[in-house]
Amino acid sequence: MLVFTPFSPAFSRASRGPTGCALALGLLASLQGYGQAPVARPRPDTLVGRRHRLPEAQVRAVRPERFAVGSQRLEVDSAALAQYRNGTAADVLGARLGLYIKNYGPGQLATLSLRGTSAQHTAVLWNGLNIALPTLGQNDLALLPISGNTQLSVQLGPAAALYGSGAVGGALVLRTEPDWRPGLRGSVQGDLGSFGLRGGSLEARTATPTVAVRVAASYRQAQNDYPYLVREPAGLVRYTMQNAALRHQWSISPDVAWRVGTAGELTASVWLTDADREIQQGVSVAGSNAREIDQSRRLVLGYRQVTPHGGQWQVRGAWFEDIINYSDQGAISNSRVRTTQSQAEYTAPLGPRASLRLGVEAQHFAAVVDGYGPDAITENRAAAFGLLRYDPRPGLRLSANVRQAALPAGLAPLTPTLGAEWDLYRPAAPDSLAAADQPGLTLKTSIARTYRAPTLNERYWRPGGNPDLLAESGHGYEAGLRHRIAPAAHLVLETELTAFYQLVDNWVQWLPLGAGGTYSPRNLRQVRSQGLEASTALRGHLGRYRAAARVAYSYTQTQKTQGVAADSDPTGLQLAFVPLHRANVTTDHAWRGWLGSATYTFMSYVYTDASASGFLPAVGLLSATLGRTVPLPGRTSLTLLLQSTNLLNRIYDSYPARPAPPRAYSVSLRFAYN
Amino acid sequence: MKKSLFTLLAGAAALASCSNPEDEFGPLVPRAPGVYVLSEGQFGQGGGIVSAYGISSKTLLTDAFGSVNKSAALGDVVQDMGVVSNRGYICVNASNKVEVVSVPDFKSVATIRNIRQPRYFASTSATRGYVTSWRGPYTNYAPGKVMVLDLTNNTVIDSITVGRCPEQLTVVNNTIYVPNSYDNTVSVIDASTNKVTSTVTVAAGPQNVVADQANNLWVLCSQPYGTTSTPPAALARFAPGSTAAQLTLPFASSGPKQLRISPDKTQLYYSYGGAEYRMATTATALPTTPFMRRNFNGFAIDPRDNSIYGAVSTGFTTNGYFLHYPAAGGKAIDSVTVKVGPNGFAFY
Repeated sequence: MLVFTPFSPAFSRASRGPTGCALALGLLASLQGYGQAPVARPRPDTLVGRRHRLPEAQVRAVRPERFAVGSQRLEVDSAALAQYRNGTAADVLGARLGLYIKNYGPGQLATLSLRGTSAQHTAVLWNGLNIALPTLGQNDLALLPISGNTQLSVQLGPAAALYGSGAVGGALVLRTEPDWRPGLRGSVQGDLGSFGLRGGSLEARTATPTVAVRVAASYRQAQNDYPYLVREPAGLVRYTMQNAALRHQWSISPDVAWRVGTAGELTASVWLTDADREIQQGVSVAGSNAREIDQSRRLVLGYRQVTPHGGQWQVRGAWFEDIINYSDQGAISNSRVRTTQSQAEYTAPLGPRASLRLGVEAQHFAAVVDGYGPDAITENRAAAFGLLRYDPRPGLRLSANVRQAALPAGLAPLTPTLGAEWDLYRPAAPDSLAAADQPGLTLKTSIARTYRAPTLNERYWRPGGNPDLLAESGHGYEAGLRHRIAPAAHLVLETELTAFYQLVDNWVQWLPLGAGGTYSPRNLRQVRSQGLEASTALRGHLGRYRAAARVAYSYTQTQKTQGVAADSDPTGLQLAFVPLHRANVTTDHAWRGWLGSATYTFMSYVYTDASASGFLPAVGLLSATLGRTVPLPGRTSLTLLLQSTNLLNRIYDSYPARPAPPRAYSVSLRFAYN
Repeated sequence: MKKSLFTLLAGAAALASCSNPEDEFGPLVPRAPGVYVLSEGQFGQGGGIVSAYGISSKTLLTDAFGSVNKSAALGDVVQDMGVVSNRGYICVNASNKVEVVSVPDFKSVATIRNIRQPRYFASTSATRGYVTSWRGPYTNYAPGKVMVLDLTNNTVIDSITVGRCPEQLTVVNNTIYVPNSYDNTVSVIDASTNKVTSTVTVAAGPQNVVADQANNLWVLCSQPYGTTSTPPAALARFAPGSTAAQLTLPFASSGPKQLRISPDKTQLYYSYGGAEYRMATTATALPTTPFMRRNFNGFAIDPRDNSIYGAVSTGFTTNGYFLHYPAAGGKAIDSVTVKVGPNGFAFY
């Protein structure tokens, strides 16, 4: 599948010869890459091929990532993702990528902080559409089950030109990709774990030459009745966590892709999630029995068509409904938002070395929220964007993107992005190496402006909502080096070092500046974030043994740099809940049917207030997975997975007064048909 | 050399022991006279504390309860503290408890649990205490209670149903006056029977009741908690035993709070429009010029020297501070940083 692309010379890193040759090389490289299938290898952004259906040319969608030249991107590969099949994005992003997640407890609210920014500063996209809750402008990662997606990646740094509002610290990109391999595949899994964890999932895929279908579903519940210790005047007292159960969490996601002729593809994806949670309060808060129902229904229809001249156009329409119903001791707060979105874009080749994408999108929100009063609130937003990728020569890749959004309160800041990657040297290497494994030293840099549209809560909440609020604006720079060597056959060592600097201006803060001293959001602050990200990954295989290891370190200094007198948070101090140092080690091993994997994440202390006085101490957490797959007759297999989190049994709070669970185990049994 | 090394090691050990939170011999409450400063802390994070400040030594023990009691956390949202003889009673609002400590050393004596949403403490004697207690969730409040405490064994012995969101109560000659801040009433309780004897109607949102030199009652009525449309705020005076207001002084806008009275009971103080006002109990009109141009989140007058303490809260995520002024006001003598949300004082 996906063998033909009209933009191959421009996008192929292996394009060293004439166009046709490059195409072939890229294809070959991809094939080799697939054969090796090392863990944690980023998908090459060249052509991808599989052995099965080579003769059939079909159009591969041109991803926005192609226009993100010079930006740092992290991807969780499918093998790792498979271990978290019954988990959520919160489980994966913390353990596998070492990102900082502000987590109120297992299954409780979990938000991502990329490069020191806040939860609202990460755009979350599913199949190309922003799925952030319009009311809150953020996503609870604990409500994004992994089973609904086949790909998960994070782009760091400002990226509004590509991903729209909210891509200030970065973007979380979720996708479901059609699997065109013919025949039926499927698996069913059951999970059992500590503190009342029960779960199950199933996945089935099938494809004919023209239709590919995937259905995935997962279920999870957990009592979360784990023990924790409290210091009391008489000494340490052991308690059991109350009112923290995940009563149920469902995710169902059917996807269909239909090839219309040789030039078109129609896709329909649905993602239904439903969670019923007890809301864990701080352990010193008594008497709460808070509970929250979160339901999201997402539907996206897309059509993609290749023109005879090698261009590609795509239209998408989406309908989302997000429900949050919260109650505590009879106090009720309900909200329902319906979002319709549409996108149209055209991607054109500009000669053999460049491509240009032009697009428009529109969003309509209709919100019925208790906090806004009895009437429904509607809001429209629109944006236009242009993305240009130009590779003047094989060792130099450039991109220039721009987006202009129109918001109800006026135009958002224009958000251009420039990016460059320059191969400083690229030694001769065996052609058998995948493009992404080609040794060399690459200099990469990008500069971007970005924005975040005010959320519906910020505009309409009563009291205090401020309809005149401006979009937050930001800009950032990053520069770095990527070095790759292949010291031995079947061994690749990749090292990346990135320095970044970014400012967020008009940062929204709720202050008692409204009528009668009510809290009201204002564009008041400037926040600066700067730091370093270093990682090195080794992957290779020897016979049937495959191994990968990655060590990453981040230094993130984030401070408020400007404010007003009414904003009492001091300047020049590290923001609360931004660890200065983070480190992450992951290692994966596979041999015959065995699988072993471990992750270690270290977080330095985080302040818990803006005065930088209270803090949560540093913590290092280890988790591990051991698995064994036994092939069974009739193309079936059985996999047993044993997993443990907090293996070192660290006692720590994931958030102030929210003790994290002690060492916990789970066991999963998966039956697969291939 | 050997001796100096030993000294160094001993010193290091002493330092290490000082910083070890598990050490029973933590820092001590500064020597009296002193003032306890209450900090609410961030809701849900369990960071409510009481700081102890030595007035003559000018030293601060930031977390008196934790320092003295094996790093125990006091709880979530420290609301009020009353002192009766050598005991302190701390209302920890979100933790639904009253912590009892010995004064001045702040050693834990008892924890009285299951007092829902405790707000303010008052006592009629060394053995009898009263705590106002809210019932029901935010904006859906039910009639509250006044919990009756036996201070000899720190137990709840009775409860009295009053109006919604009972706030800062006061005791005058064995009678307890309870302002029901989500209603427009003051409940009057006979402390000998623990029964409501009458309910006085006032303007909406009574927050505090104080008694002056002539045993007149002053009631400050302001915006009920969580409401957005405000009825006119007012300061009302009641003659002893009367259920009809003798004098009602309306405010131009909403938001007066923290009605206090001087130790000699001749001067009223309240916070309004971002400033602190002072008014003689003989006055018949509200003052027009502020006493201090400061927005205090807590205000108290030290009965020993009439000096003034004002707490300044700078939001829910930053440390606050308190200011210590001479009795006449004017320039602050001290400014001391404390934890998030300082809202009140008690003296030792």
